[in-house]
Amino acid sequence: MGLETRLPSGILLTSVEKFVNWSRAGSLWPATFGLACCAIEMMSTGAAHYDLARFGMEVFRASPRQSDLMIVAGRVSQKMAPVVRNIYDQMADPKWVIAMGVCASTGGMFNNYAIVQGVDHIVPVDMYVPGCPPRPEMLMDGIVKLHEKIRNEQFVERPRKGESMEDFRRRTGWADPVPADESQISSASPGGAGR
Amino acid sequence: MSDNPRMAHPDTAAAERAHLIEHAIEPQLSERLARVRDRIVARFDDLEVAGFRGELTLVAEPGRIVDLLRFCRDDPELRCELLADLSWVHWPGGVHRRIAQETTGWPIYEEVVEQGRIELDYVLYSVTHNHRLRARVYLPDEEPEIASVTDLYASANMMEREAFDMVGVRFTGHPNLVRVLMPDDWEGHPHRKDYPLGGVDVQYKGAVVPPPDQRQY
Amino acid sequence: MSDTTRPRNELEPRHEYTVVSGEWQDLPEAVPDDLMIINMGPQHPSTHGVLRMVLTLDGETVVDNQPVIGYLHTGIEKNAEYRPWVHGVTFVTRMDYLSPLFNELGYCLAVERLLGIVDDVPERAQAIRVIMTELNRISSHLVWLATTGMELGAISAMIYGFREREAILDIFEFVTGLRMNHAYIRPGGLQADVPEDFADRVRVVLADMPKRIGEYEDLLGENPIWLERNVGVGVLSVEECLDLAVTGPVLRSAGVAHDLRKAAPYCGIEQYDFAIPTADTCDAYGRYLIRLAEMRESLGIVEQALDSLPTGPVMIADKKIAWPAQLGLGPDGLGNTKAYVDKIMGQSMEALIHHFKLVTEGFVVPRGQVYTAIESPRGELGYHVTSDGTNKPYRVRVRDPSFIHIGTLPRLTRGLLISDVIAAVASIDPVMGGVDR
Repeated sequence: MGLETRLPSGILLTSVEKFVNWSRAGSLWPATFGLACCAIEMMSTGAAHYDLARFGMEVFRASPRQSDLMIVAGRVSQKMAPVVRNIYDQMADPKWVIAMGVCASTGGMFNNYAIVQGVDHIVPVDMYVPGCPPRPEMLMDGIVKLHEKIRNEQFVERPRKGESMEDFRRRTGWADPVPADESQISSASPGGAGR
Repeated sequence: MSDNPRMAHPDTAAAERAHLIEHAIEPQLSERLARVRDRIVARFDDLEVAGFRGELTLVAEPGRIVDLLRFCRDDPELRCELLADLSWVHWPGGVHRRIAQETTGWPIYEEVVEQGRIELDYVLYSVTHNHRLRARVYLPDEEPEIASVTDLYASANMMEREAFDMVGVRFTGHPNLVRVLMPDDWEGHPHRKDYPLGGVDVQYKGAVVPPPDQRQY
Repeated sequence: MSDTTRPRNELEPRHEYTVVSGEWQDLPEAVPDDLMIINMGPQHPSTHGVLRMVLTLDGETVVDNQPVIGYLHTGIEKNAEYRPWVHGVTFVTRMDYLSPLFNELGYCLAVERLLGIVDDVPERAQAIRVIMTELNRISSHLVWLATTGMELGAISAMIYGFREREAILDIFEFVTGLRMNHAYIRPGGLQADVPEDFADRVRVVLADMPKRIGEYEDLLGENPIWLERNVGVGVLSVEECLDLAVTGPVLRSAGVAHDLRKAAPYCGIEQYDFAIPTADTCDAYGRYLIRLAEMRESLGIVEQALDSLPTGPVMIADKKIAWPAQLGLGPDGLGNTKAYVDKIMGQSMEALIHHFKLVTEGFVVPRGQVYTAIESPRGELGYHVTSDGTNKPYRVRVRDPSFIHIGTLPRLTRGLLISDVIAAVASIDPVMGGVDR
């Protein structure tokens, strides 16, 4: 996704990673995807009192092609679900999703025929912010944690501290299938770097 | 409370309907509403009139509803310019349980209704005279059909679409009777009582809470 | 009344041309250009929520506009049939999410009418209900102003509107604990009494607000861009308004001084002195002026209610309906007082049974059906509640004004340019939570 797919394989990229992640987290542009009550709290978070601009996010892009972050704010009904997926697909990599509020996280108090029980049935979610609706400070907390998550993303999977190569291979999916000869294993990163 | 029929009389249709209509517990309508009622009843003599908590309800046959609404709209004494609301209630056939709560003992009354009905309520409001009345019809449960009133009131357009969407009533003469709230290819009519609520079990740390329509209370 | 013979939902009939040879060059001018069908929404920065409009355009002029709604349908009405009466408050409060207290008030008034306890609700509860709902009216109009300004390009209006709204939300949080979706108004009264400095804090807001409303008038009122975009846009004549069951500021912009607070007063609002602003221009600018004037009137109502706030309980005395029970501040927050818990656990079996049944099942409402309407910021918010004598509603139908107003869109936007469509829809102020429920 994004920059990772274009890198030549096997190069140590620590400083580049840090720089790219810092710039991504520092200027994350949300797509306007307010649906219901949480949208009003999202607008309040972007307004003057609880300012989202200090996190680099005051520019709510209307076009999903220009945005990085989709804050699904509000309940997703069955009719709206394909639209959510459509907007998510239109966003360019790298992209993140925050499920704001309990309705977007799990369906909330509306456990019935009309509401999708959690937007993670439709799009992959990076951060769940509970609340009905979550206070602006709670949403900002979720955003700040998402920034930390972005800053810690790795382009290439590396073994963690104290992890054996066996465990590393199992965790990242190199373990299976084991090819017949070692020359089959390329040094390129396994698919989906950082995921 | 109204007379508590513990068993319905399934013989006559009137008796069947009687226990679905709330009886005039407070028969004193205000003077204005009493005049309205008299005027309408003078013109249409096959209506049933009920009053509850000061509201006037006229029960009409489905075939007469357009005439009744037109009279209420055009008559200078009534002048109901607004169709404020078109509401519906589904009374399915079968056993209706009514629970009376006492501090000791739990008496439960049951009524058996032979054929399910859909009740449609047209709430008419007059801005000039400031009175409100309700015209009600009962339609049979399967294949309910009634004439549309979009020619009389343009606001009925959206409301009738919603009634079709939610309980399946077909309004003949409606210009565009398609679903309005549910997706176009949805099957079923959600506000019918035989349509499930459709929730999922909520599981958290091993405990399971059933969806609301399967809970105890 | 309106012309009932004219088809309402059809395009203007096209003319038919017969062409004989030699006249082909006249045809392109005679036949109207092909119409273009464009989809606007449901995800759109300017459509006031998840509203989808399928526009049939002739160039940039709208020939027909079919709104498609249902993208926020939540099944609240059906959900309320499976919960006790008092739980219904938490559901209906989330419909029209800009005016949650109005939703609660309408529902509670309908339940109280069914119970027959309208006169038993204490006066202090009624007065506080009026104060909170009028403050909610102001905050709802502020969001209207903010979003309308943003959709028309006046982005500062967004910031200013939400800044003012924070002051009112602070008061809501002070009283109810939540900024939105409060579940504060319960059948029989209120959830809890207001704290002690409530009056002082509200008066601070009352003192500050008129100046801010004056700021909006200075910024937008005579602004040539605002005038250009709003004057003459979204015209609905009186006949069309009544035919389409339009109420609220839109009906008042057509000159009809109809307000349910005066026509069918509730919660003792008739003792307060306020005017009903109207305009006779039937356009978006008239609705803008009306909403600003309504904000000022609401400030007056809140001030009068504060001055004459009676003392007493805020929940009715009938213990079979009043809930929650005796509240007090305990070590773990607001809950039943220790004395009350001791009583029900230790002394009285009937109290225990009663408390148990009241909390798990809720009260029982006698059988019947009522229609209760209140004046929400958008128009007539009606509750058509049917009870079959049990502890759960049999049917809660909400007549939401925004749903009815969406039906006006074809008539409202015919002949307008696309940018005028946005201004017209914003002037109607639909809230999609109420439209779809």
